[in-house]
Amino acid sequence: MSLVELGLYFALLSLVSVGGLPSVMPEMQRYVVDVKGWLTPSDFIQAFAVGQAAPGPNVLIASLIGWKVAGLPGAFVALGSICFPAAVIAWWVAELWDRFKDSPWRKAIQRAIAPIVVGMILSGGVVLATPGSPDWRLWLIAGLAAAGMLATKLNPLWFLGAGAALGALLL
Amino acid sequence: MGFFWIGARSFGGVMPWAYRTMVEERRWLTHADFTETIGLCQFLPGPNIGNASIVLGKRWFGLAGSIVAFLGLMALPFVWVLGLFMVYSDLSSNATLKAVVTGVGAAGAGLFVGTAVKLGRPLAKKPAALVLIAACFVLVAVARVSLLMVVPIGLGVALFAARRGWL
Repeated sequence: MSLVELGLYFALLSLVSVGGLPSVMPEMQRYVVDVKGWLTPSDFIQAFAVGQAAPGPNVLIASLIGWKVAGLPGAFVALGSICFPAAVIAWWVAELWDRFKDSPWRKAIQRAIAPIVVGMILSGGVVLATPGSPDWRLWLIAGLAAAGMLATKLNPLWFLGAGAALGALLL
Repeated sequence: MGFFWIGARSFGGVMPWAYRTMVEERRWLTHADFTETIGLCQFLPGPNIGNASIVLGKRWFGLAGSIVAFLGLMALPFVWVLGLFMVYSDLSSNATLKAVVTGVGAAGAGLFVGTAVKLGRPLAKKPAALVLIAACFVLVAVARVSLLMVVPIGLGVALFAARRGWL
């Protein structure tokens, strides 16, 4: 039963995932942890960590969440349902988009989406760094990673590595 | 096949590898083409690089191309990430390992914040954009309102603002 619910919900999320998976992370957390209680907040941040550290598109985090909820079928269903509706839209829109290259609507849409995406990704970062009750150590690690990313051009893997070291020391 | 290799070696983010493979090594695309395609895929819902595989696969080989490109992109990373997670699940009773992984998660969360700041910088001079960002943040992160509500309403308001020239 949870498999069907998971699939349907992720398919809906797929439709609102403008800006990619980071945008829907806060909503996944809300649904899977707060609403359904399938995962604990700590399970969720760990699945997220493994998905970030592993190679590949970050959308695979969805498959780890599916795995935690319903095993291997959950992994397939979660990944398929988060990708499929969006893929169908991409398939249809690709040509339309070219045709409306000079339309004022196209420019308006581009400008409208930007602040929404920024707001959602920012929320995702804060929600992920606050599993359960606020913890200054997680905020410190997150803050350092954010500052490092903005101040340098290092590969993000360095910051994940630093997070691992700080995690071992502090947590 | 190219997408299979992109997926296979995409440690630390797929986009740089996608660029290197498709533009620099195989010359399937020009730089401008790549930028245009990625630009489009960032505005569509769904994983950016996943959408790019659909769009480019369609352009070159039609429906079959889209399916092959998408599956090629996902196949190996899917196996790897599940494998890694299985190993981790076996060991997760180890407190140190759990701390390490949680630390990685917190750093990953920080990278989200950094990304948001980077994307938000060009918007900083537009008050309407800042209001929208703040409203999104309060609704999603603080009030925990569902995105299924926030995104359609937010996009509607933003589109109205954009047509008025506020964004």
